[in-house]
Amino acid sequence: MFRDDPPALELRGLTKRYDDGTLALEDFNLEIHSGAFFGLLGPNGAGKTTLISAVCNLLRVTEGEVLIFGKPHGTLEARSWVGLAEQDINLDRFLTVRETLEYHGGYFGMHKDEIEERAEEMIQAFGLTSKRDVRAPKLSGGQRRRLLLARALMHRPRLVILDEPTAGVDFELRQELWNYIRRLHAEGTTILLTTHYLDEAELLCEEIALIRGGHLIARDTADGLREHFGVNRLEDVYVKAMAS
Amino acid sequence: MTGLVWLCKRETLRVSKLWTQTVLAPVVSSMLFILVFGLSLGGRIKQVGNVDYEVFIVPGLITMGMVQAAFANNASTIFQARFDRYINDVLSAPMKPWQMTFGYTIGGIVRALAIGISLLVLAILIVNVPIERPFELALAMALGLLLFASLGLVVGIYAETWDHTSFIQNIVILPLTFVGGVFYSVHVLPSPWEELSHFNPIFYLVNAVRFGFLGESDVSVWLSLGVVAALAVPAYAWAQHLFTTGKRLKS
Repeated sequence: MFRDDPPALELRGLTKRYDDGTLALEDFNLEIHSGAFFGLLGPNGAGKTTLISAVCNLLRVTEGEVLIFGKPHGTLEARSWVGLAEQDINLDRFLTVRETLEYHGGYFGMHKDEIEERAEEMIQAFGLTSKRDVRAPKLSGGQRRRLLLARALMHRPRLVILDEPTAGVDFELRQELWNYIRRLHAEGTTILLTTHYLDEAELLCEEIALIRGGHLIARDTADGLREHFGVNRLEDVYVKAMAS
Repeated sequence: MTGLVWLCKRETLRVSKLWTQTVLAPVVSSMLFILVFGLSLGGRIKQVGNVDYEVFIVPGLITMGMVQAAFANNASTIFQARFDRYINDVLSAPMKPWQMTFGYTIGGIVRALAIGISLLVLAILIVNVPIERPFELALAMALGLLLFASLGLVVGIYAETWDHTSFIQNIVILPLTFVGGVFYSVHVLPSPWEELSHFNPIFYLVNAVRFGFLGESDVSVWLSLGVVAALAVPAYAWAQHLFTTGKRLKS
């Protein structure tokens, strides 16, 4: 948005060592400016999901600092600014579509009137109108994926984190989700996207970071990365970066 | 506080959506105990102290139904949320750890109260059970529910499979309840069983509740309440510690 704003996300020396000794992130530094559409690419086990979990308070950070719009990530204010759509479907099996959205809004401190209005808006935006009273386990895979995204956006987060949102979805839904994410970005929301689809990263993201083994390998625009690695295609950038 | 209110609502909603499993089934099984043990054995045993046998067993059976429900509810709700990982929606929300602990504790307490109140109404209608000391009864119930609702949370957080939660319920809580003086006064037990009963924490809870209903019990009500409080407070603190540190909840 405004370059004077504090960064949407700032990681300073972030290190995560799991209880079994695995070092998933080591002295990781990253800054994403407010309003950016930022892509995070890397193979399985590179540390993408660990990074996201650290930002969203879903893991115990070993060392380092995570700031969201200038506030430590553990503060209630910072938490309320982040929306997360996880890679795996993790919907509450006891709740209907509408309840899933309403309860999420409630957990995130929204007022009742606002919750009802916003839940209805999300249900319509994600084409879930006919399923509003259906419980999550009875939805199709595509509908669950849409609900997951709707839930992440329900409380109007300033920073939306999408962990492989289009993994395993069909072409139509992928296009639909892309359109929604683009609209969201155009409205000023900062987006952090992890994906295995290089075309998706190139098409959507203004900047891309490549990570491997818990370290940042490179960070630039798609064109900048191609130039830096001296290749013509992002696929080749990826192969070269991961092999280096 | 909005987040806490919604978490409490969610945990209560789960109980009400599954009411046949969560409330009706335990009420029916406890009523069967009252009918089968009370009315059939009551003809042979007649009285325990100054109380008819079918009345004597009611406080223990209500306690048993309530504490088992409080434990099972919270162990399963938190384990399910961890297993399906929708607990992340709560862990990432702008809520304080004490609000999460309290919110997750409530479901088991509400379920236990629904069972307890239903059983109480039925017991009054069927065997005319009195409530001699309502203050002590309320205090005993509050402490007992806090203890078992908290233990349920702790076990649900540590459990790695469904079997772990049912193991504690079936191998620890149920046997301790049965030998905790639900069906008899420990004074009728020969030595050393009577003395050993005093090492069973559920014995004190049953006695405190029985005192609340009948105005008499095997040990001092204040000793009973003290023992239950001495267990309930650390159990809740343990659950709170897990939410504060994220241990077992966050990788």
